[in-house]
Amino acid sequence: MITDFDPIIIGFLCNWCSYAGADKAGAAGIAYPPNIRTVRVMCTGRVDPQFVLRAFADGADGVLILGCHLGSCHYKEQNYRAIGRHRMLLRTLTQFGISEKRCRFGFVSAAEAVEFVAIVEEVVQEIRALGPADFKIGRDEVTGAVIND
Amino acid sequence: MRVGVYFCRCGVGDEGQISGKIDVHVIRDRIEALPTVDYVETVDFACGEAGQDRIREHVEHRRPDRVVIAACSPRQHEETFRQVLTCAGVNPYLLHLVNIREQIAWVTEDPRQAVDKAVNHIRAGVARVAHHYPLEATKLEACPDVMVIGAGPAGLKAAMTLAKAGRQVILVEKSPILGGLPVRFEEIFPTMECAPCLLEPIIGDVLHGDVLGNIDIHLTSTVTGMRGFLGNFDVTITTAPRHISVTHCVGCGLCIEACPIAVPHMLNLERTERKAVDFELFGGLPSVPVVDESACTRFTAGDDCLLCHDICPVEGAILFDDVETIHRRTVGAIIVAIGSMLYDLSRVENLGYGAHPDILSSWDVERLLAANGPHGGQLVTSQGKIPQRIAIIHCAGSLDPDHVPYCSGICCHDAAKYVHLIQEKNSGIHITSFVRTIVMSGKEIFNFYLNKSKNVNHRWRWYSDPRHIEVRVEDDFRKGEVGPLSVVCHCADSGNIESISVDLVILLAPIVPSDGLRDLANILDIGIDATGFLAEYNARSDATCSSVRGIFIAGACQSPMDIQMAMTQGTAAAGHVLSTVVDGSSLCINPATASVDQERCCGCMTCLPLCPYQAIESSQENAKAYVNSVLCVGCGTCVATCPNGAITGHHCTDNAIYAEIEAALQK
Repeated sequence: MITDFDPIIIGFLCNWCSYAGADKAGAAGIAYPPNIRTVRVMCTGRVDPQFVLRAFADGADGVLILGCHLGSCHYKEQNYRAIGRHRMLLRTLTQFGISEKRCRFGFVSAAEAVEFVAIVEEVVQEIRALGPADFKIGRDEVTGAVIND
Repeated sequence: MRVGVYFCRCGVGDEGQISGKIDVHVIRDRIEALPTVDYVETVDFACGEAGQDRIREHVEHRRPDRVVIAACSPRQHEETFRQVLTCAGVNPYLLHLVNIREQIAWVTEDPRQAVDKAVNHIRAGVARVAHHYPLEATKLEACPDVMVIGAGPAGLKAAMTLAKAGRQVILVEKSPILGGLPVRFEEIFPTMECAPCLLEPIIGDVLHGDVLGNIDIHLTSTVTGMRGFLGNFDVTITTAPRHISVTHCVGCGLCIEACPIAVPHMLNLERTERKAVDFELFGGLPSVPVVDESACTRFTAGDDCLLCHDICPVEGAILFDDVETIHRRTVGAIIVAIGSMLYDLSRVENLGYGAHPDILSSWDVERLLAANGPHGGQLVTSQGKIPQRIAIIHCAGSLDPDHVPYCSGICCHDAAKYVHLIQEKNSGIHITSFVRTIVMSGKEIFNFYLNKSKNVNHRWRWYSDPRHIEVRVEDDFRKGEVGPLSVVCHCADSGNIESISVDLVILLAPIVPSDGLRDLANILDIGIDATGFLAEYNARSDATCSSVRGIFIAGACQSPMDIQMAMTQGTAAAGHVLSTVVDGSSLCINPATASVDQERCCGCMTCLPLCPYQAIESSQENAKAYVNSVLCVGCGTCVATCPNGAITGHHCTDNAIYAEIEAALQK
C-alpha cells in the first residue's frame, strides 16, 4: 500500500442539502482532509455522467456525488434520477478499468455536518488504499473528448 | 479575458476568519500568475457596507470582464455580491463566488494545505467564470386576476382577501350555494360556535358587500380545461343549468310549494323529501332554488308542467331553457380549494355501514344535529325515537393499511363534540366510545376533551386492531324489521370480548380526497401525493403552493384539516398570489434556467417525463422539446439527460463545469 499518496477527489455537491451540510461542517469547525475539490451544482440531477468521466480523464483519483436524502430533494425526485445515472455510470467506469469504489454516491442533509465529514474521511481513506489512478482513460488531444486509451 | 479576483479576509490583516488560516500573500502571488487574472484585490469584510462599496467602486474603475470573489459560502452572500455587480454596471451572472471560508479555512488544520486548496478552488473559479455570460431576467406581463376553485371556508377566505386587495376574483363553485361543508352542519368544535353564523357574514360580503364588483361567482360550475402558465392561465369553466336566475329570483319559495314532484332528500339521509325545484339547503346562500333535472317531469318525462313558472312572482326567474354553458377566463394565478370528503364506510365490512339506517357516519350525525336537518336538530333513530344507548367508534377505517393508513386528525375532536351535544340534548343517553388512540392536540381542544368526556353516562373502551371490533345487525332486521344493533369488541383494556347493545352507532370516518380532485389535478397538471391529496411544493415551507408555479392550494384538498386551518390556508394562498403576481408590475423570470437548441433537439422527448414542474413541452410546430422558462426552476436534470446535448443549463453550462473540473485538477 502506498501511504504517502494524497488523492484528489472531485466532489459534486447539491446546493440545497449536501453543500449546505458541508457549510455546516465549516460553521461547526470540524476539520477534514483537504483532498476534496468541491463543484457546486444546484441538484445532483445536473451531474452529467460525462462530468465524472472528464474528472477521471483529467486526473481525479475519485469522484464523490452527494445529494439530498431520498424524499427530501429540493427538486422533488431528481436525486432518484441521479442515482439511476450513477448506477449505469459504474458499469461504464468498470469498462474503463476504474474501480466502482472510486465513484461514490451518498446523501447528506443540510444538518448533517458530522455525516459529511465522515463520508469525506472514509472516501479519502478508501481511495488512498486503492492507490493512484492508472486508468485507460484520457482526453483526445484535438477534440478534448474523453477517450478510452 | 480579464478576470478580477477579490479575496475577502473576513476580518482585518492576517487575523481574519479567512486570512488567519489562508496566507493572502501566497494567494496573491499564485493567482495573479494565472494568464486570465487581471488583478487580485483584498477586502476586509466584503459583505459589509464598506466592503461592498469598495468592490463596487473598484469594479467600476477597473472594468474587469469577469469577477471572482473568494469569500464565504455562496449560500450566504452570492445574492449580495450579484447586487454589488449590478450596482457597478456589470451583469450579475458574470460573477463566481468561491467558498474559501466554510469549506476551506474553517475545516483545514494545516495552513499550507489550506492555502493550496484555496489556490486550487480559486483557480477553478477563474477557469469557470470565463464561461459565464450575461443573463437578463426576463419580464412577463401577468394578468392580475385570480381564479379560486371551491367556495368553502378556504376558498371564501382566499377570495375575500384577494377582493379586498383590489383583485378581480373568479370564484368557481360546484354546488348551487356558497360555504362548503360547514354551512351544511351546525355547531363546530371546540366552542360550539354555529358554523353558518361564522360563514354567512363572509358569504354575505361576497354576495352583497363592498367587494361585490370584484368577485365574479360561478355556481353549479366546474373547471373543465386549462392552458397556459403563471401569469396567463386560460381556464375553461363549465356551468350546469340551474334553471333559476340567480339575479332575478327573490327566494320566496312559492315555486317549491307549487312543485308536485317529491324525491328523497339525500343530504338529509333520505329521511325527508325535497321537491324537484328546491333549495339545495334550507338557509343556504344565495337563497335561490335549483331545478333538479333528474326529478322534474319536464326533463324526465318531457311533459309541459308549468306550475312553478306560473306561480313565480318575478318575470324571468324560472328558465326552463337554461342549458350548460361554457366560459373562458384568463387569470394570472389559480387557488384550488375544493375540500375533501368522507371515506366510503361501506367498504369497511365489519362496521356495517349501509346495512342498517342507524349506523351513521360523522357527516350523517352532523346533519341530524343541524337545526335545518331532517329532525330539526334532534338526534333520533330512523324510527323517530330518542336513542338510549349510543356507540361512537373512533378510527373507523383509519390507521388501517387495508383502508386509510393515516390519521385524519379531526375525528376525535368531532367525537368530543358529539358526546357534548348529545348529552346536552339528553343527559340520560349512555354513550360508549370505542377508541384506538386519541389525537387532540392544540390549546383549545384538550380542555374541551377533559371537561366534556368525563360525564358519568360516557365510558371508554379501548381496542387495538381494526379487526377487533364489529357492528352486528340482529336477524329481525334482515327479515324486514329494524332490529337492535350491537357492538362486539375485543377490548384491549380488559382483554375481554364485550358485546354492547345500542340503538345508534356513530362511525368516525377518515377524511379522503374529493372524488373530483384527481380529475381537476389532471386538468391543471398539478401533482397528487401517495395519499391522493394534492402534493405541495414543499410540505413544510410552502404547503399552500402546488408543484406548479402560479397554482396554489388551500384547505382540505391539501390534507385533512379543520375549519381554522382551512381558513388560515385560504388567507395564506391569497398572500402567495399577491406576492407572486403583483398588480401593475410584470413577473421577473429567473434566467438561470434551461433552454433547448431547436437545431440539435431530435424530438426524442427523453427530457419530458423527467421534469416534475411541467416546464417541458413538446412543441406543436416542430414536435421538439421546448422549456418554459416561467415554470423551469433550474435544477438541470433535463440538461444532464439530453442524449444530444441539445439542452443548455444557463449559468451552469457543461463547458463551465468542465473548465472548473480541469482547473481544480491541475497539479
